[in-house]
Amino acid sequence: MTYYLAVFMPLLGAFIAGFFGRAIGDRGAHIVTCLGVGIAALCSIPIFSEVALGGKDQVLPVATWLTSGTFEANWALRFDTLSSVMVMTVTCVSTLIHIYAVGYMHHDDSQPRFMAYLSLFTFAMLMLVTADNLVQLFFGWEGVGVVSYLLIGFWFKKPSACAAAIKAFVVNRVGDFGFLLGIFGVFVLFDAVNFDVIFQAAPAKADASVHFFSRDWHAMTIICLLLFVGAMGKSAQLFLHTWLPDAMEGPTPVSALIHAATMVTAGVFLVARMSPLFELAPDALTVVTLIGASTAFFAATIGCVQNDIKRIIAYSTCSQLGYMFFACGVSAYQAGIFHLMTHAWFKALLFLSAGSVIHAMSEEQDIRKMGGIWKKIPFTYTVMWIGSLALAGIPFFAGYYSKDMILEAAYGAGSPAGRFAFVLGLAAAFMTAFYSWRLLFLTFHGKPRADHHTMEHVHESPLIMTIPLGGLALGALFAGFLGHDVFVGEGRAEFWREAIGTTAGHDVIEAAHHVPGWVVASPLVVSFSGILLAYFLYIRRTDLPAKIAGAFPGVYQFLLNKWYFDEVYDFIFTKNVFRFGKWFWKGGDTYIIDGFGPDGLSSLIARAAKRLGAVQSGYLYHYAFAMIVGIAAFVTWFVAGGAG
Amino acid sequence: MESGLLHIGLGHYLTVSAILFTLGIFGIFLNRKNLIVILMSIELMLLSVNINLVSFSSFLNDLAGQVFTMLVLTVAAAEAAIGLAIVVVFYRNRRSIEVEDINQMKG
Amino acid sequence: MSTMPDLVPAYPEIFLALAGMALLMIGVFRTKDSTGLLTWLAVAAMGVAALLIVNGPQGPVKTFSGMFVVNSFTVFAKLLTLAGAAVSLWLINAWVHKEQIARFELPVIVLFATLGMLMMISANDLISLYVGLELQSLALYVLASYHRNNLRSTEAGVKYFVLGALASGLLLYGSSLVYGFGGTTSFDGLATAMASAPQSHVGVIIGIVFVISGLAFKVSAVPFHMWTPDVYEGAPTPITAFFSVAPKVAALSLFLQVLAGPFAPLIGQWQQVIVFISLLSMGWGAVAAVAQTNIKRLMAYSSIGHVGYALIGLAVGTTEGARGMLFYMLIYVFMNLGTFAVILSMRVKGRAVEDIKDLSGIGKTNPGIAIALALLMFSMAGIPPLAGFLGKYFVFMAAIKAGMVPLAVFGLLASVVAAFYYWRLVKIMYFDAPADAFDPPDTATGFIMTACTVLMLVLFFESAPFVGGAETAAKALSFG
Repeated sequence: MTYYLAVFMPLLGAFIAGFFGRAIGDRGAHIVTCLGVGIAALCSIPIFSEVALGGKDQVLPVATWLTSGTFEANWALRFDTLSSVMVMTVTCVSTLIHIYAVGYMHHDDSQPRFMAYLSLFTFAMLMLVTADNLVQLFFGWEGVGVVSYLLIGFWFKKPSACAAAIKAFVVNRVGDFGFLLGIFGVFVLFDAVNFDVIFQAAPAKADASVHFFSRDWHAMTIICLLLFVGAMGKSAQLFLHTWLPDAMEGPTPVSALIHAATMVTAGVFLVARMSPLFELAPDALTVVTLIGASTAFFAATIGCVQNDIKRIIAYSTCSQLGYMFFACGVSAYQAGIFHLMTHAWFKALLFLSAGSVIHAMSEEQDIRKMGGIWKKIPFTYTVMWIGSLALAGIPFFAGYYSKDMILEAAYGAGSPAGRFAFVLGLAAAFMTAFYSWRLLFLTFHGKPRADHHTMEHVHESPLIMTIPLGGLALGALFAGFLGHDVFVGEGRAEFWREAIGTTAGHDVIEAAHHVPGWVVASPLVVSFSGILLAYFLYIRRTDLPAKIAGAFPGVYQFLLNKWYFDEVYDFIFTKNVFRFGKWFWKGGDTYIIDGFGPDGLSSLIARAAKRLGAVQSGYLYHYAFAMIVGIAAFVTWFVAGGAG
Repeated sequence: MESGLLHIGLGHYLTVSAILFTLGIFGIFLNRKNLIVILMSIELMLLSVNINLVSFSSFLNDLAGQVFTMLVLTVAAAEAAIGLAIVVVFYRNRRSIEVEDINQMKG
Repeated sequence: MSTMPDLVPAYPEIFLALAGMALLMIGVFRTKDSTGLLTWLAVAAMGVAALLIVNGPQGPVKTFSGMFVVNSFTVFAKLLTLAGAAVSLWLINAWVHKEQIARFELPVIVLFATLGMLMMISANDLISLYVGLELQSLALYVLASYHRNNLRSTEAGVKYFVLGALASGLLLYGSSLVYGFGGTTSFDGLATAMASAPQSHVGVIIGIVFVISGLAFKVSAVPFHMWTPDVYEGAPTPITAFFSVAPKVAALSLFLQVLAGPFAPLIGQWQQVIVFISLLSMGWGAVAAVAQTNIKRLMAYSSIGHVGYALIGLAVGTTEGARGMLFYMLIYVFMNLGTFAVILSMRVKGRAVEDIKDLSGIGKTNPGIAIALALLMFSMAGIPPLAGFLGKYFVFMAAIKAGMVPLAVFGLLASVVAAFYYWRLVKIMYFDAPADAFDPPDTATGFIMTACTVLMLVLFFESAPFVGGAETAAKALSFG
């Protein structure tokens, strides 16, 4: 019963808030949705201890669903370690975000709708992670997709929000296309979509090949690559990542729930879930590693030059997802999922505290227009520190355990791709620390750069927003410490059991525990140097103009100077070090990927549509002519084909 | 005197019918003037089919083709009646039955 | 010495024919306007016909010298056609009264068109095929130009008539060639003839091409689809709804019957062409719809695309493909009826509007209509958990099973493009600034909209009996 409650309570909450929102009012909608998700979260804890720690895997039937010939897909909830970890993370983080949203959205005029979407989203995500077969997983997958577009476009009066929602939809359809092909491939190869069946049959099909485009391909590699394309779309990996930063147009709790804690990690979950197949496709794993590592690095470079507080965190998410992927790529799925779990806590924390900052600053999102507010919102300031420390992987915070594990695993894997990932991962770790503290310093320290009016209104958020922040901060503090033993330490074999399939004698986690000392130390070193650099640039030198300004009256002049200073930094720095980042962002992202990728494609289709419209001229004789041409072509084809 | 007739075989009938059919088709999409001409072209197509059917029927010694022809003739009559009725209501609205004028909707 | 043919299998058709004439008499001799009354009588007649079908013979029975066949396939297709026709008739009735153009002939014509469709489905001979097809088509030409004071409606009638007559001519010419070179008009006889001589005469092949083209016109498959957007736009909206469901089901069933029946041995010859028109239809339907501003035109292109997907099931040429196609049609019928119910409720201050822009912001102003249309659009785009997904799923699976991977891949690609314009509607409804609110829909329209939307969910979660029905039907065809 607990199991069903954990999955279906959010749906019930969404249903009530969605359809009876007017009847029960804003307050009622808040209560039912928070209650629904809260009960699910409470249920998830005994589930976790029973399934993951107690070792009782379960498959609970819901309904017989599709049966046709050999094809059978049942509607069932699958609880093993992997899904119980995900269920716990999703429901707990989601509960806190629900509560936060009550405070954050309090002057919006369609709150029941918003709360219903949030709960519906949570349900779809739970459906995804507890799926027992690929079709059900796809159902959850599309469900989270659809609700996330609705949420991104929630403020539909903002044109940019609409554009972002459309963009997310289109880019994700491209990824889904790959995913569906992958499901088809699995079905063709195994004649089944149920996980148990697939995984049992997988070793026997390890060397199967498919004949396509007149040559033989390794079937498993093709399938895994296709599934990975789906994962790339959902998880905003390089080439398909463009929608994620734009998606920040949605309300901040949405960014926290969807674009940090849950939906974007679905891709990582998929790869971990399908790990028995990926293990049989080493080439596909190499691709996963390369893409993951490149994304980690590339998104971090961009993060260093952004000025919108949410965009910085969004690129940071992109980069952290890259970490998770290359962990999976080097077969350290456990480390990937571990990072996924810790990341959910601290990234949600960062987003929500960013929301709290935005809230305090009267909807300002540009960090160049912030500064000097740390004394006014001490709580937000503290939790943001905790989040950043966890993100940068400073010892004993959550990120430390998982991120170091990933880097060590990448090194320990010993493959060229692993080394490549290690180097890029280190570089990204440096930049992660840098941009996180740049954000902290610019937002909270220095002299205020906002106008009087705004500054007067800076206030700590109400209790209903700070309590969830506190809860998430606890997670960011302790999730890594508590989890590392069972996730990636001594207890891991007993913990994961069958949930993750690794080939015997290929234990990367074990290898990771035996890497040289400098490998263990290096992430720490680079993180600290990143923080120091940020400190030097944004605290040391910015004090200088502040003092000069003290000598000269006129705050306006001073503000302007400050601005100029920042610009100079940007200019000089970008020129030398971050030109790469900017180039990637401007050149790579905006022109190449948007131009030829989804945006280019959609304009191509629009042009094609005009052409076809012109063919539809409205004249009878043109229509008749088209028919005659068609029939003439077919006759020719038939007669030529029939004769030959 | 018989030899001249004997030369007219199935192939000739089929050729005549194919030519008539093609003329009918061309009448539909080459004619840009009058809707009535299109109705005539349709009739021409149906009649060419009838020639086909009757000649096949006699060639195969099978009555089905001629039964078919009877039905085609009946349906053709109904079709012409409905076609003319539609042309009339169209004319009432548009005050023209030029094929070029039938292009309110396109795209 | 001839004996009376066995009439039992044809009872539904005989009943509909008699009912149609009786209704006509009632309309003529009753002095008051009897459109409403006749509509209900016509719906009742369709219900009785459906009962006769369900309680009549199910197994393969042939009568009228083998010209008329009843089997589980025809039962499935006829029930679906009747359902589509009855629901459309209900929509039509609500609408003509609002527009004040009610005339009692309308339900009678719809009834005769439906009768023609049932005849087509049961046809087992080139002659009965032609007669059924023409009965249907002639009624449809009249329906297209029903709004006779409206230029667009009459133009739609003219276009439909001329191109339809051309298509009939092609079909007939093909039939004559098949008859001549195959030696008989009976499907059974042709099947024997084709099976005994796999390398058929070129005349038969040309004949088949012509027949396929004629049928492709009726289902509006590219390149014989040109009439569709204009007729859909011009014809009165509920009649467009009727066009988009009942004749489609009947013509696609006929397509299956013909290609799986007499021409099954020639699958090697026609398969390529069906693949080709299926590809073209999916592609054209998906791309051309992107630029549309009129929602009825959009639905026209959407239906062209859907026919393309359904044709995948035919192109595959297996029982599984046929099952996929039948199930697809089942979903398509109710999906389309629901969408047209939404379009019919697009009325601002008593005036019907049909621009996509008119949907702006109805998520705010008419949340009920908006949620129905959004779910239907997601279903059309094939997004789970809506039935449209299953429909695509089954045909794609059948294609992959039969080794036609490129076809399925292209279908997927087309559905990605198509998802774009379906999504655009959702975006306009929810994200654009609200325009004028719609009037609340009348009971019939509202009910059909709700029922069809709910059905999309039901068909997804409780698909088993429906798939089972489609499977039984598909097994009655002679695919291997």
